[in-house]
This record gives sequence, C-alpha cells and structure tokens, in this order.
Amino acid sequence: MKKHNSTNGVSRRGLMGGAAAAMAFTFVPKHVLGTAQAGGANSRLNIAAIGVGGRGEGDIHECGSENIVALCDVDDRQAANAYKTYPNARKYKDFRQMLDKEDKHIDAVIVATPDHTHAVATMAAIKMGKHVYCEKPLTHDIWEARQIAEAARKAKVATQLGNQGQASEGRRVLCELMWAGAIGPVREVHSWCNRYISPRGMGRPGDTPSAPKELDWDLWLGPSPERPYHPAYLPFSWRGWWDFGTGVLGDIGCHQLDPIFRALKLGYPTSVEACSSGVNQETAPLASVVRYEFPAREGLPPLTLTWYDGGLMPQRPAELEDGRRMGEADDNLFVGDKGKILGYRLIPEAKMKDFTMPPKTEPRSPGHHREWITACKGGKPAESNFDWAGPLTEVVLLGNIALRMEKQLYEKGLKLYYDGPNMKITNLPEANPYLRREYRKGWSL
Amino acid sequence: MHTSNNNKNRPGRLGRRQFLSTGAAVAAFTVVPRHVLGGAGQTPPSEKLNIAGIGVSGRGGGVLQGVESQNIVALCDVDWAHAAGTFKRYPNARQYKDFRVMLDKEARNIDAVTVATPDHVHAVAAIAAMKLGKHVYCEKPLAHSVFEARKMAEVAREMKVATQMGNQGQASEETRLMCEFIWDGAIGPVREVHVWTDRPLNGINAVYWPQGIDRPKDTPPVPETLDWDLWLGPAPERPYHPAYLPFNWRGWWDFGTGALGDIGCHRMDPIFRALRLGHPTSVEAACTLVNNETYPVASMVHYKFPARGDMPPVKLTWYDGGMRPPRPEELEDGRAYGTNGILFVGDKGKMLENRLIPESKMKEYKAPPQSIPRSPGHFEEWIRACKGGEPAGSNFDHAGLLAQVVLLGNVVLRPELKETVNRTPLYWDGVNMKFTNVTEANQYLRREYRKGWSL
Repeated sequence: MKKHNSTNGVSRRGLMGGAAAAMAFTFVPKHVLGTAQAGGANSRLNIAAIGVGGRGEGDIHECGSENIVALCDVDDRQAANAYKTYPNARKYKDFRQMLDKEDKHIDAVIVATPDHTHAVATMAAIKMGKHVYCEKPLTHDIWEARQIAEAARKAKVATQLGNQGQASEGRRVLCELMWAGAIGPVREVHSWCNRYISPRGMGRPGDTPSAPKELDWDLWLGPSPERPYHPAYLPFSWRGWWDFGTGVLGDIGCHQLDPIFRALKLGYPTSVEACSSGVNQETAPLASVVRYEFPAREGLPPLTLTWYDGGLMPQRPAELEDGRRMGEADDNLFVGDKGKILGYRLIPEAKMKDFTMPPKTEPRSPGHHREWITACKGGKPAESNFDWAGPLTEVVLLGNIALRMEKQLYEKGLKLYYDGPNMKITNLPEANPYLRREYRKGWSL
Repeated sequence: MHTSNNNKNRPGRLGRRQFLSTGAAVAAFTVVPRHVLGGAGQTPPSEKLNIAGIGVSGRGGGVLQGVESQNIVALCDVDWAHAAGTFKRYPNARQYKDFRVMLDKEARNIDAVTVATPDHVHAVAAIAAMKLGKHVYCEKPLAHSVFEARKMAEVAREMKVATQMGNQGQASEETRLMCEFIWDGAIGPVREVHVWTDRPLNGINAVYWPQGIDRPKDTPPVPETLDWDLWLGPAPERPYHPAYLPFNWRGWWDFGTGALGDIGCHRMDPIFRALRLGHPTSVEAACTLVNNETYPVASMVHYKFPARGDMPPVKLTWYDGGMRPPRPEELEDGRAYGTNGILFVGDKGKMLENRLIPESKMKEYKAPPQSIPRSPGHFEEWIRACKGGEPAGSNFDHAGLLAQVVLLGNVVLRPELKETVNRTPLYWDGVNMKFTNVTEANQYLRREYRKGWSL
C-alpha cells in the first residue's frame, strides 16, 4: 500500500505508465464500499470466477489458498474440471446473475473468459466494489481498457492483469541491467512470439452446426455481434477471430512487452505501422510485424519497438554466439548504443559474465497471484494493477488496429499516428471506430 | 550491332559486358559459328531463327510472343488443352508432348529453344537443348536447385550457346538508373539493402497462389489432356492433383521455388548489378510455421555479402508474403510504399527503387550521364546474341550466379533446417558450392531425380 522506494530512486509506482503515475492509489476498507468485508491479512478472501475452463482453471488453482465460493461458465464441458475440484462452489452460467446473487458473499472476482467478454465482466465486478484479477489482454478494445482502468481507480479495488511473467526474477534483472546503463541508451527493441497459438488467416465458416447442449451460445457471444455457433470458435480457437480474440499480439503482447515497458519506461507511442501475411476482417493474420515509435521519455531517447509473430523474428544479432539459440519461441532483443540484451542477458555471454550486476534495487515478487491476494487484503498494489495494465493493453491493441488498417494505410501511404492522451488516431479517421466497438443489444459497460 | 561496342573504350562508359555481375566477368564469352557445334548453321542477323518452345502455355506463350519475329517451328507441352491457344497462334509449328522426343526429332531444324515449364523441369530441358548446341531462353528462376543453376551456367559456357533468363526487368531503364546512381555515389557506400514482394499474395489481401498448406490426400483422376508422368518429369512420384497445376506448382517444394524463386531473380537482379554482388558469405532466415510440403506463407531471408572492390560488405534482406521493411523516415507521409520494392540504405542517403528519398533530394540530385548502354529489349537481346551478337544481359553466366544465390535462400527455409537456422547462420563457400558449418544443409543444394531423368 505504501509507496515502495528503491535505492536508485525509482519507485514501483514510477514503473507504471503515464496514466498511472498521475493517480494516487489508496486502499479503502471494503465495508466502506458496501461490499463484503475482506477481513485482515490472515482471513480468506471469498472469490468468484468467471470463465473457469482452460486458463481460468489455472488462475483459480493459483488462488487456492482462498475460498472459491462461486464459479461461472457458459460451457459445462469446459467447466467440468473446476466444478469437480470445487464441489462446494455455487455454479452459474451467466456472470450477471452470479454477481447479482453473490454480491454479499464475495470479495473478489477472477475473469478468464475469452477476450471479448473481459471488459463487461470486469466492469460489472468493479462497479460492485469487487477486486478483480483479469486475464490478459485486459480488454478487447482500447476504449474498454481506458474505462476499466478509470473505474478501478474510482472504486479503489485491488486489481491484477494475468501477465504473470511480470512477477519473474528476469524482468527485475532486466530493469536493473537497463537502469545501470549496461547497454547504454536503447533506440531499438524487437519482440517476437513464434508459438503456434491458434488458427488464423481464414474466412468465416459457412455451415451452421447446432450448438452443443452444454453450451449457452448466446451467453458465450456476450457483447459480440450475433453470429451462428460454430466449433471453429471454441474452445480456445476464438483467439484468432477478431470479434472474439485479439490475435497473437493480444494474446502474448501483454506478457512479452511488459518488461520492455517497465525497463524503458514506455507510455503511448506516437505512431504504429504493420504488415502481415494477409489481413481479413474475420481473423488475425498468420504472421505479422508491427512497429511502434515511442517518443523520448524521462531522459531516454526515442525508440522503435518491433513485434513479430507467426514464425518471424528479427535478424540474429552478430553478438550472439554461433550454436546459441536465437532466444526461445518468444523473446526480446534490446539494441543499445553500447551493447545488446537478449531476453534478460547481455550478449555475447562473455559480456554478461564480465558484467558486475548492480544491486537488486527492484523489489522481488511473492508471486503474481499472491501479489493480488495481498493487495485485496489491504497490501500494496499488485504490479500489474489496472493503472499499469490498462495503458499496456491499449498499446498492444493499437497494434491490432494498425494490422486491420493495413490496406488503408498502404493505399494512403501512411503509418498510423496516435494521440494517446486523447485516445485518437489523428491521420486516419476511419480507424477510430476500431478504438471502441459496438456492443450487441443488451450489453454495456 | 550494339552501340556499346563503341562505348567500351571510352572513359567513364561501360560496355554491356561490364554491366554483368562478377560471375560473368570472369568468363570470356565468345560466340562460335553454329556449324562448328554441329547444330543448325549459323543464322546471320538478316535471317530468322528457328525456335522450339518447351512449356508453351501461360508464361510460355508470352515468351514465344516475345520472340515470334522469328520462326516458331515446334511446340511442346505436356497438356495440349492448356497449350491450345499457343498451338492456334502458330498453326504451322509441329506439336509434341515430350521435349526429349521433340529435341531428338527437331535437332536438325531448330537453332534455339525457349523453356517455360514449371521450375522443376527447367534444368533437364535447358541442358538437353544446350547439349545439342541450341541457344536457350529459360524462364526464371533458372533452375530448381543451386546445383542445377550452376550446372546450367557451366554447360552454356562449354557449349558456347547464347542464353537469356526470363527476368525481363534487367533490360529496363530503371535497372540502369539504379546502377548509375549507386555508382555515382548518390547515397554513398551501401551497407544495407532491402527487397520485398507481396507474393505469394497479390497485393494486401488477395492470394496469388497458396503456400503454407499440406499435401492433398484425395487422388482425383488425371485430366485426359494431361500427361502427368511427363509433367512430373524429374520430380518424385506422387499422384496427380489439381492443387499443383496449372500455376499453383509455384508453392510446392517439389515443383516450384516459392515467392523467392518466382520474384527473387527479377528483383535481386538490379541489386546484384548495382552493388556488383557475387556469392554471399552467410544466409539466415525466419518464416511462418507450416512449410513441409509448400513454401512458407511469409519469410524473411538475410544474406551477408563481403566487400567487393571499393564497396563495403552489405546485408541484403528479402521479404515476402506481405512482409516488408518499415517505412523509411525519409519517405513523405502520403507517398506510396509499394507491396513490392527495393530500398538501398547508403551512408549518405536512401534510394527507394531508383529514386532518392525524400523527393526533394531526388529533385536536387544531378543525375550522372548515362554510362550503361540501353537495351534493345529483353527478347531482342537474346535474338541478337543467337545470331552472333554480344551476350544478352541475363545470359547464364550472370543468371546462373544470381539464381544460385536466390535459391540458397530456399535452402535456409527448409523445414528440416529450422532448428539449425535458429542457432546459427549458414556460412556459404560459393566457390566450392557448400555450406561450411552445417554439412546436413548441403543435401538441399541438389535434389535426386526420379528414375529415368538426369542432367
């Protein structure tokens, strides 16, 4: 809760994006908000989960030290495991109903639905004063991310985005290396993810098989536009469909770009451009390259950040020893005036070995989910609270807009210029609707 | 016949010969009268060549139209329905299905051959023709493998036949301007060059031909008009499927050479000339994930070239499938940045295709006087060479080297080498045609032919 000052003067708060820096983050006892009493650090939270299959199930287990009191999923098949593991938890299909009925019994909510439902579920919980852990990316569009961050601030609830890599030792070492000037000023960063995430690069299926009886298709659709059920969308493969998921960039960007944002103190970019293996309005491309330009910040020079997915990568740096893998399936390469870092290590390895590590100034994490639980109980804010995660998600999702606008940008000979504080694309008005999508009737934030 | 002959000895002017890349420069190219070779008699410039076409539909038909000022005397295609249009255009030409039969029967009647089959048949057809002493025009890429490309250049030299690869852009004004500007030092020494194509896409959205797909499992019957066995030629046996032809063979490892093979010889040609490139010292690549049967959906290939004369080492990056380098900051907002392009990065500026950027810099630039002879046209170059004129601009000495380097990129994209390529660049010994650090990569320089086929 209290500001944690590190010895080099960079506080944990200072790591947060521009939007976060402006806000003081104070915890208010839960009863003031009219919700269930979270109790002291030693009592257990009562947690409800929305979307309890797949990753949701993992998140619930990570919070297994607390009481899991209610579970909600639109698909009994996906939820079967969680239902079995937590037989005493009350079961729901509609999160709105669950929140309504459980309001008095829960302190906190885990949201791990498909991306298109993150915001409506998270916002409903925040408005009731519930603490929220939400899977990444925070939302499906930029406007939602901004609204959610603002609402969380107002409601003074404890929040955490599901980018658990932020809690790692590696990202702390990276910050310490960078801030010690290990590679000098950084003007260029490359980030890539080459795991096969889900099917992409195809058109909408034409057949309309009937929905399985275990699935409430209308609830699964949530705020997304009406369309017939098809097994091409779920489970899991919704990630590639623009109406539901956010592509590889949305899926992995919040993981992968988080340490870059922290180490290099990034805020909003000034421009974005993208190229891909073929855009269509149904699914994300099989492969893409997205390039952001960030302005100078806090004495750091402007930099370009290039994202690659689908198997593409930057060229192998000359400093990397032959025989050494070009990172893992996903990695980051930092190009400084005085050297390079691959992942969390200077390259070549000889340079890393010669380097005297600076003191560990960054506080270590007790664990990503534990950070949130501690925050819910009145401890200090979790590291990926929505003040941090909101702007991060916005930047990630801006890349998707550049991808979807690839043809228009190409035809007009432009890259996309972005005014972050005003949430506006300044040189391509037809791109602005992608900042905020329309919800299906009956749904709102 | 060529003004370049007059230019050769003038200071500051370059003959066509000198315009060719380093590979070409080492081989003196002399045309020997045809009768010495035992083929048809030498054709004087005033007379017409007798030309046979192998692969005469699609692009093959276009090639024949390019040389139809001469006599088109024989046509060969494995699918006569597909070739019908060309057969109709040249009603007096004799028709064949098997180029081996045609070359055998027509040996005495023809001077020259055009080869525009799918890539996997280029080398066997072109070498058979050259060994008979026939001049050859062969579509790009010259061959399907690095070994074949080298062999074709060797045979052409040995047989002293006139050759030309189908990269017609080499004859353009643009190629010459690019060279003249670079040689003039318009952007200073060049250490980095980027070249990209949208293929296998066609623009931002459309697909030209599929890549990144698996082999079809169904085995529909072979169309009556097609000789599938002949179409397969030296490629490994497999059942017929319409996924392979016409045209879409380009995407399949066994038949085509992917986006890089299709466009690399076009777009790297001016770079090779302007930067006087030879063999690279290393090649690296990254690409999309599915490419066991077909080339990847998108790729990026990085070549490193050593210093050449007073030119510093240079990195060349190839992009396809929609990938391209970021817009250079010098490019004005609102100005087109193509789905195909070449970007030279010099110490003193940048050139997009043959224009300095930004445009204000181009306007200020005082272009040097023309130093490279202009072409009479890509096909005409070859026709003149066949009649004893000077070598065509993309004769196989030049094209063989260019195609080898282009096809090296495809070796690095092989799915079998993916993990290796993630761990090290492949170091290339061009003189000895081998990778020096990854011996298992060498097997992909050359493929095995189906029984009954050889070079």
